[in-house]
Amino acid sequence: MNDVVHSSGTAGTRGSAVHAAGVSLKDLRKSYGSNEVLKGISLDVAPGEVVCLIGPSGSGKSTLLRCVNLLEQPNEGTIHVGGFEATDPDVDIDKMRRKVGMVFQQFNLFPHLNARQNCTIAQTKVLKRGQAEADKVAQANLDRVGLGHLADRFPDQLSGGQQQRVAIARALSMDPELMLFDEPTSALDPETVGDVLSVMRNLAKEGMTMLVVTHEMGFAREVADRVVFMDGGVVVEEGVAEQVISAPTQSRTKEFLKRVLDPTHIDISK
Amino acid sequence: MAMTARQRAKVSLYVQAGIFVVAVAALVLATDWKTIGTSVFNFAKIGPMFPDIFFSGLKNTLIYTALGFIVGLSGGLLLALMKLSSFPLYRWIATGYIEFFRGIPALLVFIAFGYGVPLAFGVQWNVTIVVMISLGMVAAAYIAETLRAGLQAVPKGQLEAARSLGMPQWRAMVSIVIPQAFRIVLPPLTNEVILLTKDSSLIYVLGLTASQYELTKFGRDGISSLGAGLTPLLVAGAFYLVITIPLSLLARKFESRSARTKR
Repeated sequence: MNDVVHSSGTAGTRGSAVHAAGVSLKDLRKSYGSNEVLKGISLDVAPGEVVCLIGPSGSGKSTLLRCVNLLEQPNEGTIHVGGFEATDPDVDIDKMRRKVGMVFQQFNLFPHLNARQNCTIAQTKVLKRGQAEADKVAQANLDRVGLGHLADRFPDQLSGGQQQRVAIARALSMDPELMLFDEPTSALDPETVGDVLSVMRNLAKEGMTMLVVTHEMGFAREVADRVVFMDGGVVVEEGVAEQVISAPTQSRTKEFLKRVLDPTHIDISK
Repeated sequence: MAMTARQRAKVSLYVQAGIFVVAVAALVLATDWKTIGTSVFNFAKIGPMFPDIFFSGLKNTLIYTALGFIVGLSGGLLLALMKLSSFPLYRWIATGYIEFFRGIPALLVFIAFGYGVPLAFGVQWNVTIVVMISLGMVAAAYIAETLRAGLQAVPKGQLEAARSLGMPQWRAMVSIVIPQAFRIVLPPLTNEVILLTKDSSLIYVLGLTASQYELTKFGRDGISSLGAGLTPLLVAGAFYLVITIPLSLLARKFESRSARTKR
């Protein structure tokens, strides 16, 4: 898993077939009123690379992820995704978002549409694909996440883990070049977390560029090429996954990992 | 002698049944059935009301209600969008309108648009126009609040998910948000139609010709023309129930469906 070429600009070396797009963030700042959530973040994700964002809640990692496809508007800095400059005022944001799949903590499936329709609506309305082709693509992606047999089910007839896998299939149906995951397993029952993570693992193997906000340290260590630790709106530490998680150099990283990896260790003096 | 809880419940049931039987018996004995048969509900006088009650009363009630609902729904949608607008002036106007028309009796609105406005501006409005405007403007205020609540009840994540798939704002509203909002507002909107059906009777304050009579006016007219006591009014009342009870059942069905699933 670690035989990945990190130099930016080269296509992903794992798998094939996927047209991957890189991300480049420079000096990103975001404030809500007087509360500065992102204090000048720079981060590069090479095409085909998998980067996990970790850190305590409120550290700004979800905000950072949501800035990449402009669900949040940054106050300062530049964002490049594939060939697009997202922060250019004249950018066609809808065109850019077609290349960027997003998976939410709360799934956000469309409850009035079944699993297949969830995967086809943007294909037909945005990409202008014909219904037959869209259905074919939807079925292929539902098969890919192991839910091809449940295509006719509505979201309320699916478990949380199944809903999240449909949400992944929905994003994949747009043939994205980059996938953003915002705590995809945080709202799931523990027994369904594994299914979602294994879908994400396969996606990484196929060479998809992925930026993942997660608390799953096992996943980060195994699947991510790089791990970025954020706290208080800045990047505290980043590097090869194994190194950041097993041998962090910064004290804040060490403290965070100790709490995450050993939740029963409660320090009341804090 | 101590009673168990079950015995006490049984005694309570007997007592309640006993009170009911006594009350009904007293009512039956005290009633002057002869007078009721002639001047309150006289079966013989029902016949002459048909079939006119279908072709003027019922027909006009349905037409007035439908016109009021069409104006109310379009006006309500406009007001709801104004109330959710980012432009403050629109929000103030919508809020003012909604509070005003929900706060005054609908009867005053009918009088204002039936007599006041035509007099003030020297215009001649026929009854249909007055009903459409009066009923529609009052309904718009109530429907606006219903629609606003429905649009806001669709979680923000739905819009975000749609936008992140590359849908423009209008497409996300049309394909994702509004269909869900519509399902949410269907039960309260159905109740709105029930209220409108009944409020359409307020048109009685205007001078109507026989062909413009809706159910209530038709019933009142029957009282004098047929000399049938209250019979025509009671028949008219029954016709309202024929309209409103199915609507009410429909609303309940929508409600239980949306409670079971968000589909």
